[in-house]
Amino acid sequence: MGVSELIFYILAATIIGNAVLAVTSRKIFRSAIYLLFSLIGIAGLYFYMNYEFIAAVQVVVYVGGIVVLIIFSIFLTHEAGNDMKKPSLLRAILAGLASLGAMALVLWTLQMECFMPSDAAAVEPSVNNIGRQMLSTTEHGYLLPFEVVSILLLAAMIGCIVIAIKTRQKA
Amino acid sequence: MGAGSLIMLFICGVAFAGGGIALSWVLAKSSPNTAKGEAYECGIPSTGTSWIQFNVGYYLFALIFLVFDVELVFMYPWAVVVKEVGMVALVEILIFMFILFMGLVYAWKKGALKWM
Repeated sequence: MGVSELIFYILAATIIGNAVLAVTSRKIFRSAIYLLFSLIGIAGLYFYMNYEFIAAVQVVVYVGGIVVLIIFSIFLTHEAGNDMKKPSLLRAILAGLASLGAMALVLWTLQMECFMPSDAAAVEPSVNNIGRQMLSTTEHGYLLPFEVVSILLLAAMIGCIVIAIKTRQKA
Repeated sequence: MGAGSLIMLFICGVAFAGGGIALSWVLAKSSPNTAKGEAYECGIPSTGTSWIQFNVGYYLFALIFLVFDVELVFMYPWAVVVKEVGMVALVEILIFMFILFMGLVYAWKKGALKWM
């Protein structure tokens, strides 16, 4: 086993171990922290595959943003510090079946799809290439989607402000 | 800089942090004291638990933060190539930021940034 494979297995163990802990922990706050470590592990996996940009997005958005949001929403509840109730056996079995079914679906789709090797030259997924493509106005440029994203973000922000202010006035 | 040096760095990091903890555990005298267990050693003794319900205002701030967090994701590749692309890139990002700035103005006007 090479060193590169060793790093992969360390990353995989971090991701899976923390994911299992996040699901099985009966303290919801701890679950959020385990999820945080699991997401950091996934960012590590992206770095391992040389996808720098995706890895940076993973750290900035998921680790830095989404988990903070999850933690704040936990603190909004009354019972952040209490242990969660043990799920009933029926529920545990159904949830297990559902996740196994989802995994089977993903694996089945992957097996069914016949991936064709392409003759086109591989584009290096470097940040530089992504940036040039994003700002380009030529045929394969993504300038219009890039500008439209800002309007989408604006809409998301106005939406959350409208909803949050309404609940704040009620409270 | 191969993967081997990364593993070496990892081992050194664990040894550095773990060695300090282990050494202090061996060398330090143990004299437990209730005052040492307090959250703040000086000042007013804290009352109640730390598990209180947080103000909904935090959540609003986190949501607005998330929007600008995503904006940052788009500015990262822009910042890498801005020198190459030049003036066009500058105009493009100014339009992008202007639209999002409108969102900030809206939040400001609506009082979403005000602390209750």
